[in-house]
Parts: sequence; structure tokens; C-alpha cells
Amino acid sequence: MKWRRIPLTASALLVCVVAVFPVYWMVLTAFKPTKDIQAPTPTFWPTTVSFDHFATAVRASGFWLFWRNSLVVSLGGVLLALAVALLAAFAVARMRWKGRRAFILMVFVAQMTPWEALLIPMYVIARDTDMLDKLSMLTLIYFMITLPFTIVTLRGFLGAIPVDLEEAALVDGCTRFQAFRRIVFPLLAPGLMSTSLFGFITAWNEFAFANLLIIKNRDDRTLPVWLSSFSNTFGTDWGATMAASTLFMVPVLLVFLALQGRVTSGITAGAVKG
Amino acid sequence: MKSPRLLAAALALAFATAACGSSTPTSTSDGPATLDVWLMKDSVTPDFLQRFQSDFEAENANIKLNIQIQEWGGIGQKVVSALASNDAPDVIEVGNTQVAQYAASGGVVDLTDKVDELNGKDWIPGLRDPGAVDGKQFGIPYYAANRVVIYNKDLFAAAGITAPPKTRAEWLETTAKLNQGTTQGIYLPGQNWYVLSGFLWDEGGDLATKDGDKWKGGLGTPAGAAAVDFYRSLQALGQGPKDSDEAKPQQTDVFSRGDVAQLIAVPGAAGLITKANPALEGKLGFFPIPGKTADKPGAVFTGGSDLIVPQSSSHPDQAYKMIKALTGEKWQTELAKAMNYVPNRTSLASALAENPGAAAMAAGAVNGHGTPQSPNWAAVEAKNPVKDFLTAVLTGGDPVAEAKKADDVIAAALNSGK
Amino acid sequence: MSIWPYLLIAPTVLGSAYLLLYPLVRNLVISVQHFRLGELIRGGATFVGLDNYREALADPVFWAVVRRTLLFTVVNVVLIMVLSTLVALLLSALGKWLRLLVMGCLVLTWATPIIAATTVFQWLFQSRLGVVNWVLVQLGFEQFQDYTWFANGSSTFGILVALIVWQSVPFAALSLYSAMTTVPSELYESAKIDGAGSWRLFTSITFPILRPMFGLILSLEVIWVFKSFVQIWAISQGGPGDATTTLPVYAFQIAQSLNKYDLGAAVSMITVLLLVVVLLAYFRQMFKQEAEL
Repeated sequence: MKWRRIPLTASALLVCVVAVFPVYWMVLTAFKPTKDIQAPTPTFWPTTVSFDHFATAVRASGFWLFWRNSLVVSLGGVLLALAVALLAAFAVARMRWKGRRAFILMVFVAQMTPWEALLIPMYVIARDTDMLDKLSMLTLIYFMITLPFTIVTLRGFLGAIPVDLEEAALVDGCTRFQAFRRIVFPLLAPGLMSTSLFGFITAWNEFAFANLLIIKNRDDRTLPVWLSSFSNTFGTDWGATMAASTLFMVPVLLVFLALQGRVTSGITAGAVKG
Repeated sequence: MKSPRLLAAALALAFATAACGSSTPTSTSDGPATLDVWLMKDSVTPDFLQRFQSDFEAENANIKLNIQIQEWGGIGQKVVSALASNDAPDVIEVGNTQVAQYAASGGVVDLTDKVDELNGKDWIPGLRDPGAVDGKQFGIPYYAANRVVIYNKDLFAAAGITAPPKTRAEWLETTAKLNQGTTQGIYLPGQNWYVLSGFLWDEGGDLATKDGDKWKGGLGTPAGAAAVDFYRSLQALGQGPKDSDEAKPQQTDVFSRGDVAQLIAVPGAAGLITKANPALEGKLGFFPIPGKTADKPGAVFTGGSDLIVPQSSSHPDQAYKMIKALTGEKWQTELAKAMNYVPNRTSLASALAENPGAAAMAAGAVNGHGTPQSPNWAAVEAKNPVKDFLTAVLTGGDPVAEAKKADDVIAAALNSGK
Repeated sequence: MSIWPYLLIAPTVLGSAYLLLYPLVRNLVISVQHFRLGELIRGGATFVGLDNYREALADPVFWAVVRRTLLFTVVNVVLIMVLSTLVALLLSALGKWLRLLVMGCLVLTWATPIIAATTVFQWLFQSRLGVVNWVLVQLGFEQFQDYTWFANGSSTFGILVALIVWQSVPFAALSLYSAMTTVPSELYESAKIDGAGSWRLFTSITFPILRPMFGLILSLEVIWVFKSFVQIWAISQGGPGDATTTLPVYAFQIAQSLNKYDLGAAVSMITVLLLVVVLLAYFRQMFKQEAEL
């Protein structure tokens, strides 16, 4: 019996190596001294740890500013999308109305918009409404990019919460809003979190709009744009580029770690109670 | 749906009429202003900029300069979106191969009436002509430069080479001699299409030629084959990456490590090299790119930049003041000294006289060439098929087939409508 | 009938009208105009009917790009589906600790931002100091000494496939795995008693039950791969030559590099249409499901 598990364990480890190696190599390169990076024979584990590359990356002008911009824009877009999507998802999952099916279909279609195709019209619209060079325009666009997906997933999570609970609350004399806030919302929280995780990653990654719509106010650039110009500037400095990439990844990883546990535990808890 | 543009126009009209009694808002030429200025990376040293800025701001107490350094990569899109915006930067530096399309676009202020004041009659043609459309001057000449060979004197001495090569044959021989042990004979990245263009002109070819009203790419010609062949022999005498251009990695950084004997660059690059590695101060020499015979230097691309003022600049008058200062005699002379650039006016060329880098450049400039005369040329550069061609051939691709591919792309871009 | 549902969807509808529908209509309008650099800056574009569509469709390059886009999508999606199904099955066969380890690794990959991942892949496949070439040479493939991956069309294409598959598998595998856990284990038990092997278990139980889930993941991956842009743009800008130019990259090149916004708009409208056609089956399925609810 033990022997039969060997191929299984081996393939599990293989999956791990393939999944992690590029990330490992990025972090490792970021910590290696330059002379180790340029050595003809690479080393696969840290021998000397150097923080020089991180220093280069962080000291490059405006790093923290761009970091903050990205955070503000991503969070802003995602929170807005969550709020708006929650209303729509509730209407779709809990109410019967004319045009509901058409609405859902439109949301599905909206999900496949190739956003890069809309760069020019979006530029023209932003210009004509004096929204160029503004982070608020980016926030609005990220809101729109994440909205369809957020509605679809939230509707799924809402659908999984039994209506009876809500109705019971209504019978007990709660208003519809109270019933939602006291009964549904706590059960929905994990769903909200995992959905926002998706939205956050999407917005955090976005490059094309940020690159086009922020023109003159360089202080309003976001991290992806900065990172792309960073590899322009520090073409050969792979250490610094990898350090910058690592720093770029940290917030996403933190959000993941913060939410992942609660999301899974939330789902299992819901399943047990449901 | 009501167009917001219409709404904006209506609002603007309302404002304009309301403001009729007072002075017009745009011509506050003496009011305090902060100018946004876009200059290109490595076109001038930070030190030069700082001196210019403090001097200019001291003389014009009301004007502050906010200078932003732009990367060359993706600059076309950047300039376009700036020109089309409602609040563009006030002064933009654009390459002389790209200025024509912006001048033709209608997004740039016409400065024809300032030409005399700027002594435009002796501007060098390689910068003046691309900046003009239908007799109107939109781009103001800023500086010009052409490539020379920068060499490491120590490495030349170590290899026992006393005089720089005069012909291509000597050049290959010298470079092979230098390319020993840990020393690279020459650092030539695979995609330096400016250098290839020079070799192409040497052979009597061109990047594209006009046949009637149709453009034709010029790489798939005997001249093209000979040019790329020489490029390949030269490129092999060093460790330049075959799939990259001179900016990736920055070739001056590579040279500054001290194990590279030669580099093809504008003489101003010497400043960047010694800044990266001060130990090389005084150890850099220059010679013109050798030609096929000793009596004529190799053909070179005449590069350079113009300055433009976007229509939507909010301070066009102050922007002109700054252009006037930067392209005037004082700062052009300084620029020539600091960066070894050719000044924008022929009468200022004496500023370069006693400088070895500039001397080599001037010797080469005799055989200077430009890119094909078409506003569509910028579109060719945007997708640069010449770079792909070079990489393909250097990594073992079939030169004939690859040349045809590149020629087709060049022709398609040049022959497309406006 | 209550007005509430309409109030609840109002923000969504308004937002989409302004930020999605309106740009889409603007794009459509641009695609039937003569809209180049001058028109972008000065305005005053004239209508030219379907000229841009005619020009786009008449260009053999366009059709080569369409074929390449379909190939790119099929190769990626097949690899993603097969690999993530295997990984999901692996996950359900593993013991608790090993499973948590593999899941952790997958989440790490998933959390890697796209731009960071593209930068890392460029570094891995660098010709001079790249670790991939080093490993290949150590394994005895001397021809990979300083091999320039990004100079060659097929190898650049291959690297992009590797990158996209690497980024996409975690989401698909984790979703499939969590769907698999919902299949009642009694079904497997009884099938095992009947002597079914693992392949039979998969084809006769897992797949039929999870068919809607497979369908959903498949459609999502088709959408994501088909319109993937940033990875390609950051690594190769569609090059060398046209070797990695897919439709979104092509539309972007035409509009942003050649300043032919009208033609780019036409190409992007065609792209949207193509995507709709490819996913027609998916929409039918969705429509049916919604009808049942």
C-alpha cells in the first residue's frame, strides 16, 4: 500500500516545484548579491543575503507613492464594485422581476469585454469630461472591469444562503433591510471576501489603462506602469528588477493570506450549518 | 445621449462670452507659470539640465520648470496622448525621425513667425526640414549628433594598436586582435539598426526607396545583403546580445565595466560612461566609423531632436521663452561642450572645435544620411522590422527570406494612407 | 409589481451604460469613420461607411492573425484543462498534509501578479544568465549555450504558452478540486465494488456530475486566454515579426503604434464578434440554465 503512494507523492512534489520555482527564483535573485547573479554557475539556494537590490528599488524615485496609488485605486475600484454588485446580486438572487433574465445575460456578456479594445474610446471620453490624468478615472474603470464578475459570484454565494432564514426573520418583525444585515450579511461575508480578492488582483495588475490615461501627472502613476519602466531603466539590473517584482507581489500575497483562511473556513461553516 | 463634447463646448462658449470684458485668459504671458517640459532620457546630462534650469529660472522669475525625463520605449504613444489631451506638457522633445507626423497632425503650435528671431536661416537642415510642413515651422531644432566609435585607449595599447583603423578591412582586423581573453573586441547589440543603416548607405542602398509613388523596402537588395554580412562579422567580435538593442542593456553601462574595447555611439555617450565608471576618465578615444576605403568615412545616420509646443499647452508664450533660451547661442554652445552634440546652427559649430569626440563626429558627419522622407516613417520605427530582421539573420535565419519579410512590413507601413 | 429590483440594479445599469456601453458605441462609431492622428487631436472625423472593415478583412495579415489567435487559444486552453483536471484529481487522492502543501504552492502561483510573472519569465529565459539555458546545458544540450529564446518565433510562442498555462492552472485546478469534493463518496464506493478502474470512475461519475463546472471553467479560460494581452505585450510586443501577434495585440498595434485608430477599432469590433461566436454554445447553456431557475 505504501509503495503505491510513491508516484502520487512524486507528482505532488513535481507540481509544487513547477508552481513555486519561478516565484522562488524571483525572490532568490532579489536577495543575491550582483556578483552571484552574474556568476556563470547559478546557485539555487541563498549563500549570501543582500538587501542592495531592495534598496535600489525602494529608493528609485516615487516607489512608495506609486505603491500607495495602486493600493488606493485597486481598493477603491473593488469596494465600489462590491457595493454596487451586492445590490444587483440581491435583486437577481432574491426577487422575481421582468427583464431579470436579460439582465443576467448582459452581465455574462459584459464579463467577456476585451478591455484593451476600448482604450481609445475610453481615452476620448476621459478627455472630453476632463478626467485625464486622474486616479478617479482609473478607479471608475477598475470598478467597471471587476463589476460583472463580482455580480456573478456574489449571486452564486447569495443563492447558496437559504431563503428560509431571511423569511423567518421577516416573520419575527424585522424589516427587509434588517433581515439582510443581521442574517444574510454575516453568512455572505466569506463570499464577499473571496470575490474582492479576485477584483483586487485584477485591478492591481491592470497596466494598459493606467499607462494611457496617466500622462502628465507622473506622481499618479501606478505600480505596474512603474515596474514596466523600471525594467526599461534597469534593463540589466535583474537583481533590482526582481526586487521590485517581489515588492509588487507582497500586497497581493498579504491579501491572499488574510482572506484565504477565512474564506475556506467560512464556506465549510456555511456548508455545515446549511 | 447628449454628447459631453457638445456640453463642454457650450460651457466653454459661456465662459468665453462671460470673460469678454476682461483680458483673455490664455495670454497671461507674464503671469507666474510652471512649465511641464518633457525631455528624452540620456539626451542631456542631469548636470547640464540643472544648470540650465537654475539659470533660466533666475532670469525669468515668474517661470518655474518642471522637467520630466521620458523613456524612449513607447514614447510615440505617450506624445500622441499628450498632444490629444486638453492639458498637454508645454514643451516636448521629439526625435527628428518622428517630428514630421506630429507637425502634420495639427496638434502642434505653428512657430513660423519666430523663425527669424531664432536665427532659423542657418539651422542645420537635418533638423529643420522634418520639423516643417508646407512651409510652416512646427519643430524647433534642438541638437544633432551622429555615431562614432568610442574606444578604450588602455585596451588598444594592451593589444599593441597604435592608430585607429581607417577602412572596414582594418577595422575587422583590429577588432579581432582586440577580441582576446576576457576583452570584447566590440560591443555591438544585435538590433542597432542605425549602424546597419550606415553600412547599407555605404553599399549604395537605402532603407526604402520610392518607385513612382510606391515605397519599396531596401533590405532585400545586394546592398542589403552586403550590409548585414558586414554587420554580422563585426557583431561576432564581441558579446553583444543578438536579440536586443543598445538600450537593453544600456550599452554605456556595459562599456563602463572596462572589458569592452569599442562601442558605436554618439560622442556624448562618453559622459555617461565616465559617470558610471570615473576610472575611465581620460581613457576614451574616438574615431569616425571607418568606410570601405580610407578616403571616405563610413556613412552615418544623422540623429537629433526638435522641440515642439503642443496646441493644448496652457502657457505657450512661456514655453516659447524656454525654447528660445535652450536653442539660443549660449545654451547651444554649452550643450555642444557638455554633450558633444552638433549645435542646431551651422554658425555655432566652432564650439566643437577642440573636442576629440566632436572632431570624430564632424569627420563622420560629412557622410550623414536621414531616414526615408515620409511622415509614415515613424510607423515603421514603431514596429521596427529592421530590428527583427537583424536578430533573425544573426541567429541563423535565411537572410533572403528575412529581408523580404522586413521589406514587406516597411513597404506596407510607408504606403498606407495618412 | 415592486419597483425595488429596478432600484437595486440601477447603479449597475448606469455604471455600465457610461463605462461600458458608451465606450463600446464610441468604438463602433470610430470604426466607421476616418479617424487617425489628426482626427484624434483636432476632431472632425468623417464617416466612411464600412471601409475600415473592408480594409481589415482584405489584409492577409489579419487572417493569419485570426488563425494564430485560434491556435493560441486552443493550445493554451487544452493544456490548462488537462493539467488542471490532473492536478485536481491528484489533490483529491492526496493525504491531508501533502494536499495542503500543494494547494499552498498553487495559491502562491495564483497570487503572482501578471507583470511580475512576465518579468520573471523573461529572466528565466534570458540568453546569457538565464537559468533555463544553464540547466539545459548541464543536461547535455550544448546548443542551448546562450540560446536566444526571444529571437525565435516558435520559442517565444512556446514561452508565452508556458507562462499563461502556469498562471491559469491554479485557479482552474482549485475550482475543479472543490467541485470534486461535492461528489458523494458513496457513488465511488459502489462503482469500485463493481470493479471500475480510475479512468472509468472519472468518465462515468466525476465528469458527468461535474459537467456544468467543467463547462464554466472551460468558457472562462477561453475568454481569458483569447483576450490575454499584457503577457504578450510585455514579453514580445507581438514579435519577433508577427509570430506572437494575436487579435488583441494586433488591434493595439494598429491603433497605438500606427495611429490608425479607425482600423484598430474595426479589428477590435471583429474580435468581439469572433469571441461571441466562439462562445455561442456557452451562452445557449447559460440561457437554458436561467430558464430553469
